Amino acid sequence: MSFPPATEEDRLVGPRVRKVALYIVLSGMVLFYLIPIETGLMTAITSPESYTGQTPFLPPLEPLVPGTGEFSLEAWGGALDGLSGGLVNSLVLVVPATVLSGLLGSMAAYGLTTVDWRGQVGIYVLFIAGIFIPYQAVLVPLTQFWYNVVPLRTAFVPLAELLPLVREYHWKLVALIITHTAYGLPICTLLFRAHYKKLSGEMIEAARLDGASVTTIYRRIILPLSIPMFAVVFIYQFTQIWNDLLFALTIIQFGDASVVTMDLVGIGVSQSGTNFPLRMAAALLAALPTLVVYVLFGDKFAEGVAT
Amino acid sequence: MAALTLADVTKVFSDGSDDAVIAVDGVDMEIRDGEFLVLVGPSGCGKSTTLRMIAGLESVTQGEIRLGDRRINDVAPADRNIAMVFQSYALYPHMTVRENMSFGLEESTGMADAEVAATVEESASMMGIEELLDRKPSDLSGGQQQRVALGRAIVRDPEAFLMDEPLSNLDAKLRATMRTELQRIQEELGVTTVYVTHDQTEAMTMGDRIAVLDEGVLQQVGTPLECYHEPANRFVAGFIGEPSMNFFDVERQGTRLVADRFDYPLSEATHAALGDTTELALGIRPEDIELVGEPGDHAFETVVDVVEPMGDANACYLTFDRSGTDPETFVATVGGMQQVEAGQPAVAHLPESAIHLFDRATGEALRNRDLPDDDGVQQAVRSD
Repeated sequence: MSFPPATEEDRLVGPRVRKVALYIVLSGMVLFYLIPIETGLMTAITSPESYTGQTPFLPPLEPLVPGTGEFSLEAWGGALDGLSGGLVNSLVLVVPATVLSGLLGSMAAYGLTTVDWRGQVGIYVLFIAGIFIPYQAVLVPLTQFWYNVVPLRTAFVPLAELLPLVREYHWKLVALIITHTAYGLPICTLLFRAHYKKLSGEMIEAARLDGASVTTIYRRIILPLSIPMFAVVFIYQFTQIWNDLLFALTIIQFGDASVVTMDLVGIGVSQSGTNFPLRMAAALLAALPTLVVYVLFGDKFAEGVAT
Repeated sequence: MAALTLADVTKVFSDGSDDAVIAVDGVDMEIRDGEFLVLVGPSGCGKSTTLRMIAGLESVTQGEIRLGDRRINDVAPADRNIAMVFQSYALYPHMTVRENMSFGLEESTGMADAEVAATVEESASMMGIEELLDRKPSDLSGGQQQRVALGRAIVRDPEAFLMDEPLSNLDAKLRATMRTELQRIQEELGVTTVYVTHDQTEAMTMGDRIAVLDEGVLQQVGTPLECYHEPANRFVAGFIGEPSMNFFDVERQGTRLVADRFDYPLSEATHAALGDTTELALGIRPEDIELVGEPGDHAFETVVDVVEPMGDANACYLTFDRSGTDPETFVATVGGMQQVEAGQPAVAHLPESAIHLFDRATGEALRNRDLPDDDGVQQAVRSD
């Protein structure tokens, strides 16, 4: 049995149908992913008094379209008021923790990959094992460690008296910085090591013959060549640490040192009901810094992922 | 500038267990001040390891390396005052050509910035890369990168250059140009140079002397023509020369050499050189085989199996018996104008003055070809 040869029309119709189907599916996915965000945004710019919750995805056009609520930025003001302390604490936490884990991870990977010494594989295995320690397993030891073993709190009492801007409660943020750095170190080392394994061994040897020491090779050759990988690690660590709630609850527990994710939990909730516009505005506000980081490091990130 | 001496240098790689690998086995040689020595051998023969030991990138298991009067076995690579050119060029990709060339001066000397800049400019103009100084390696062609790599070595003004197959990533034409240019620069600077290659053309054309290495053992050190005409053993004879030397297994019976397909009578002088060895290998270079009209004592009837015309010469693959599917052949190169066709019978003359005889068990050369006293080759060989 034989088929008639495909006509010009047949050959054109096939791909066209497929293309249309593809775009329908893609549009559907865009809607699916964006509608919750769009809904949140629309809710956040509705006046809490006129918010009914009936059509949260429509823009607030009350006098024109009844039932949609009145336009107002009141929720944003409230969110900023409620979260400002947490936002500052989170920034104080996340910037050093991200930079430290990236920098230390890069150094560890350099020492474990490019520099040759006996027993480095064993040490590297310990690093990798660190990736697989579940958060839940370390919660109690962490509390014990920071509250009962390490006298960080007492060390901060004189510091707070001496230095401006330093408060006694900052000891909790320092504890959290160290915890996040330690926990992020294995994955950062793994990422950097994969990158360093691809660097030319002859290039490192050439640098050695050129008279560069181990530290100079790191500073002048390895570090400049790691910039794309730093973008990957920074985005990853920033998002991880910014969004973390578990360690924050465990170590900070309550008080002035609370970070943005902790503040977000309670905002807009009272016995009289939930203030949805306030909650939405606060959620969007809390997510904003991670977006900014993505935009800032995005092109380097793509480079780092591609190499 | 200084001479470089290797005394009984040995490298053993062991991974802690019993199976140690001897990469370099007791290499003794002296590279004279200002000499261009080519270290040649098949891949895995230990030539790169030897070079890396001189550079300080590998430790020396046993023996001694001296640069001038200084023993450098335990001197750090940076303090040896040696520059190396790598096969992959090993340029720093994030630095401009200028920064690549300055790096070594900044790290290993206390030179002032202005002096560094001047030295770099000078070396760049010598390599003809002044206009590339502000570009990055990724913007350069392979040949330009090669020049930068050489420039980076020159700028250090080292006591010795080490080059690890620096031309192997270039195309054939550029390689030929760079070959002569490298020789010119080396002559101009007069720096002691060790050049590693597996390419016997580079070995023949570039070096003052060649050191042939096989399985970590030094086979011969000599001028290119010495190695070509007076190989110390069968390995050197087969490795140097293209197409390579033909070998026939022969057995000496009285004053005759008996092979599977021919009998070869020997003169008194040749016979005397062989002592009482009877198991021999007869070697003859393709260009020494003549295709003549009449069979005789040293001329045997053969059939042409394949002809490879190369313009100036024809490489003829001759065989004694063309009936098999994969007949054993040997090569004769004849002038490009000489008409030879596959399938035609030919008489191959193996002149006694051109044959080499090797001990089949040890590979040692018992008799090398005669060299006419008056044609200059002999003098060139002897003068060294």
